[in-house]
Amino acid sequence: MAEPIAFRLNGVDRRTEVPPDTRLIDFLRDRLGLTAAKKACGIGRCGACAVLIDGRAVNACLVMAWQMDGADIVTPEGLETLPHAKTVRQALAEANAFQCGYCASGFVVVLTAYLRDHPGAQEQDIRAALEGNICRCTGYRSILRGAMAAARVLAEPDRDVPSDGSQSDASQTVEASQ
Amino acid sequence: MTTACAGMQVVRPVTAAEALACVTTGSARLVAGGTALQLDWAKGLPRPDRLIDLGRVAGLRGIERSAGGIRIGALTSLGALERDGTISEALPLLAAAVRATAGPAVRNLATIGGNVAGRTGCLLPALLALDADLEIVTQAGRGRKPLSQWLAETRDQPAIVEAVIVPLGQDTARWTHRKVGLRAAFTPSVVGVAGMIETADGVVTAARLAVGGGVAPTRLHEAEALLAGEALADVDWRALHAAIEQTVDAPDDAFRSGRYRRKVAANAFVHGLGGTLPGRVPHRPRPVPRPCEPPLGELVLARADAGARWHVRPDGPAKIAGRLEYLTDRRAPGMLVGRILRAGIPHARILGIDTRAAEALPGVAAVVTHRDVPGSNAFGIVVQDQPALCFDKVRYVGDAVAAVAAVDAETAERALALIEVDYAPLPVVADPEQALVAGAEPVHETGNLRRSLNFGRGDIAHGFARAAHVVEATYEMPRQMHGFMETEGGYAFVDADGTLNVCAGGQHGRRDRLQLSRILGMAEEKIRVVTSPTGGAFGGKDELTVQPALALLALKTSRPVRLQLDRAESVIAGTKRNPMTIRMRTACDADGRLGAQQVDVIADAGAYASLGPGVLETALEHACGPYVVANVQTTGRLAYTNNGVCGAFRGFGANQMAYAVECQMDRLADACGLDPVEIRRRNLRQPGMPGYLGQTVAPTERLREMLDAAAADPIWLTPRGLSGDSTEIIGVGMAMNHQGTGLGTIPPDPAGGALRLAPDGAIEALLGLDEMGQGLLTSIQSAVAAALGCGRDDVRPLTGDTAKAPESGSTTAARGAHVVWRVAETTAPVLAAKMLSAAGAMLGRDRQGLAIAPGGIVELHSNSGELLLTFAELARALPPDQLPSAATSFEFPKSDYFEGNARLIFAFGATLARVAVNRITGRVRVLDLHQHTAAGPVIDVAAYLGQIEGGGVQGLGFTLTEDAAMRDGRYLTGNFDTYMLPGIADTPESMATFALEDLDAADPFGPRGVGELGIGAVTPAIANAVADAIGLWPERLPFDPERILDAVERP
Repeated sequence: MAEPIAFRLNGVDRRTEVPPDTRLIDFLRDRLGLTAAKKACGIGRCGACAVLIDGRAVNACLVMAWQMDGADIVTPEGLETLPHAKTVRQALAEANAFQCGYCASGFVVVLTAYLRDHPGAQEQDIRAALEGNICRCTGYRSILRGAMAAARVLAEPDRDVPSDGSQSDASQTVEASQ
Repeated sequence: MTTACAGMQVVRPVTAAEALACVTTGSARLVAGGTALQLDWAKGLPRPDRLIDLGRVAGLRGIERSAGGIRIGALTSLGALERDGTISEALPLLAAAVRATAGPAVRNLATIGGNVAGRTGCLLPALLALDADLEIVTQAGRGRKPLSQWLAETRDQPAIVEAVIVPLGQDTARWTHRKVGLRAAFTPSVVGVAGMIETADGVVTAARLAVGGGVAPTRLHEAEALLAGEALADVDWRALHAAIEQTVDAPDDAFRSGRYRRKVAANAFVHGLGGTLPGRVPHRPRPVPRPCEPPLGELVLARADAGARWHVRPDGPAKIAGRLEYLTDRRAPGMLVGRILRAGIPHARILGIDTRAAEALPGVAAVVTHRDVPGSNAFGIVVQDQPALCFDKVRYVGDAVAAVAAVDAETAERALALIEVDYAPLPVVADPEQALVAGAEPVHETGNLRRSLNFGRGDIAHGFARAAHVVEATYEMPRQMHGFMETEGGYAFVDADGTLNVCAGGQHGRRDRLQLSRILGMAEEKIRVVTSPTGGAFGGKDELTVQPALALLALKTSRPVRLQLDRAESVIAGTKRNPMTIRMRTACDADGRLGAQQVDVIADAGAYASLGPGVLETALEHACGPYVVANVQTTGRLAYTNNGVCGAFRGFGANQMAYAVECQMDRLADACGLDPVEIRRRNLRQPGMPGYLGQTVAPTERLREMLDAAAADPIWLTPRGLSGDSTEIIGVGMAMNHQGTGLGTIPPDPAGGALRLAPDGAIEALLGLDEMGQGLLTSIQSAVAAALGCGRDDVRPLTGDTAKAPESGSTTAARGAHVVWRVAETTAPVLAAKMLSAAGAMLGRDRQGLAIAPGGIVELHSNSGELLLTFAELARALPPDQLPSAATSFEFPKSDYFEGNARLIFAFGATLARVAVNRITGRVRVLDLHQHTAAGPVIDVAAYLGQIEGGGVQGLGFTLTEDAAMRDGRYLTGNFDTYMLPGIADTPESMATFALEDLDAADPFGPRGVGELGIGAVTPAIANAVADAIGLWPERLPFDPERILDAVERP
């Protein structure tokens, strides 16, 4: 009935058996209890379920178990393995970027992947990168402000990979550059 | 190579020939990225028996450049194409098309092969214009053929697209690409166009024009022929426009007409290839506005300016890290999964419900129907007209008929399909006007007129007779969907002591508990309702949603049950904004002074009343806006129909009425030759006047100040007219609003709360309000810290749980801010006195010499700030039953008018919008949105700013893109693929929020809530800006781009 698949989830190799049309978002939330990624439309039109597969942000509601075989999956729970995820999250938190927060983890996943490849992105780049994520509470301005603050921090040329010690520096820079 | 499974089989061939061989048996589907599957299945397309995964087929990958062109392997994702330097450099037209297709995360999955092979993909116009070829494998073998030829052929045999080959054209070729959608980005395509012109010595040597995306993908050969061989300078663009309009084969659909698609395609080609757009650019002179100073003390709300008033909300970091558990996130061993059976038809008598097969399905724990409802099978905040589970008939497609609890979601879904309901269809009442015609099919036995309101003052006949100018218009407004990201849901369980716990997002736990107690025939004390945290509500979780089904299932099974609507179910079942038609006739004298106004409102309740009566009352309470009109007559009717249920939604009727009133004001200004600011200034109500209904209103009226703020706003003076690239016409508009807070004089409006020192030393703030995103927790921290003198971090809010927090009333009607502030102001001095007495006793000091400070107790006027005692030390030293606390309860402040529902406290605003009206598409883009507000002291800067900005963009959606349209009682939109919530690309280029905080000296009411203020004046500001640009006031929401285009083109 179920099909064996092997994949890496948040840095851990896993094997399981699951019907091939099980969706990744349902697998995460209902079988593994990993509920940080949210299911808000189920058809790939809101981005709340975003996860990384092989380093790229994808909609977990569009990915089925047969597509997970061999994949390297990072959910919002495992995002901190990306060195700059803390900076992104901190900048968004300090900007009070989100309200109800149900879309937040999807935005963070997409933005973290984008700023990894485009540190120092400008507002229009960030807007384009976030076109697939819907937020109903904020009108996006606060998210843009937080995202641009994160981009400014990440664009610093001599910026080290943040350790706990350098986090406070990063946050001061966010303050100063507002 | 195959894996068998029950249901669906996935086949993983490694060659194209193997893949084709798999297609021949049973129902099969070739799959690459698979991004279309969920959408197709959600629309009801059958699931295939087998999926043939092309991912392992050799030769389908890579981007290779050669002399003849670029070969793109079919499995190349759109994301990879977007990132590929060769494509962006050599094929900018294709790169533009890729960026306009889907959204970034979908593009990481979707492939070019899938986009092409589906035959409707948004890349097709570009690939046709680029004259692309396909490498295709069929059972006849491998071959290469032009894309245009392949699209024209019938699909009589399976084919696998292996690669797309795009020739490298002339470097200097002129090209254009435009995807026109329903919103700015990540949108279904209304029409897509792509064109390419190659020239030599100024003469067109090759022209390829193609359309697709919403119309059949095809080259436009007749139009191409008008270009080929012509000197570019001599092209007859008018003839080209006409040829395109005549040749594009475009259908009408639920969202756009074929005529619109043809016209837009022609405009896009003509403009994109260098021609001149048809139509005129209206010259709209405007009276020179009087210079004006902004009101003294108005703040711009921004983090940079907020300084120490900017606080990170306490629940922010956990939400951003994904660590915050919503009520729909709860998973536990043994927890059942619930599902609700919806009517699926708009109006029918129920002849029988047979649940035996469902109950017999292994894994099903319980099925409930109306037979399981022990109490009164009826709920509703205003009137109890909605069954928890239908028994005699169903009145809309989303009506709940039965519910199932099973071991998992799949079993629950299978069980739903096994429930047999025998229906006798009834005539469908689909229109509120028709519902009120004599002899219309009754939706309820009480008749279809749910509420009727009449109000008059003065003599309108006299008023209109004396008028110099009269404007009359009918404003139509849609069924806006709340679109909260967390759909309705939660979990329920029964405690060992028999207490029923229902934990589901809501806006008033105690009222939910009252309603459940009626349905369940159970004492309220035996029910606990948890309503926070909620992932967005905006009014849409004010009424009961899933709670009755959850409760019935938990009680019947004695097991925990979770249940969350999927989006498609939320769309058909959930509450919406009442569609309204407002007919308004307004008169003024030659100086612009209003003399008479007549207003008639008809509102669609949908199948049940919910808060629709309140919405209609509130709309009519704002029928003259903030203006003085001596002669008024208003009528309002709320009709039952078989449409989706409507009720509370941010703005609650006031924003709908403001749209009509504020457009009328600009129209009269236009008629009088007055500046829009000046006509408002001549008609504003003055502080201290009776309210619209004659009621006493609270002090701190700030209308004049808001008008000054608008008049002084820099965007009021920005240039208007044609944009630099001549594609847009810029206009600026403004509108005012005022919004009553609280429920009004008629409904009970209890409030209250408490503070206490908890055993661990936290200052607990107990409020039965709900955190839905608006920043309740941060506001409580701010208010309590300010009133008590402790630190924000010392405060622990306890909210949204009937077992923990007292009655505070509903988290609606912008009432929360006042409740939080007043609870803090009232209880903090009492708590402080008790804490200082206890501390004094412990320290052996006079309590008069002590004070509360962040973290604990200090010496009064202490310079060092040294803590004599921490709150934790104080709490530990006291017996648990002697921990200090203070509570209060009160009725939300009410006015003195009881003939109708009247508000006492108002907040005020003025909104300015600068818009661009697109001459190609007729779409309106908001460039700048400035919102001026006056709502008393700002409790928390970030929360206030968030409410105004968020309300602003919700208003923008209501105005430009959102409509849950229905036909014959069925929704035409099923999910976020066609329901167009604003995306980030729709949000204005700039937004600014301003607050005027001061209160009149005698004002006892403190901060006003701003949950509704931000949406209030957005629609009319945008509409007035459109009129400023093109001379047309759109009278229907969301704006119809076709009508706007027609107005622009009118000679």
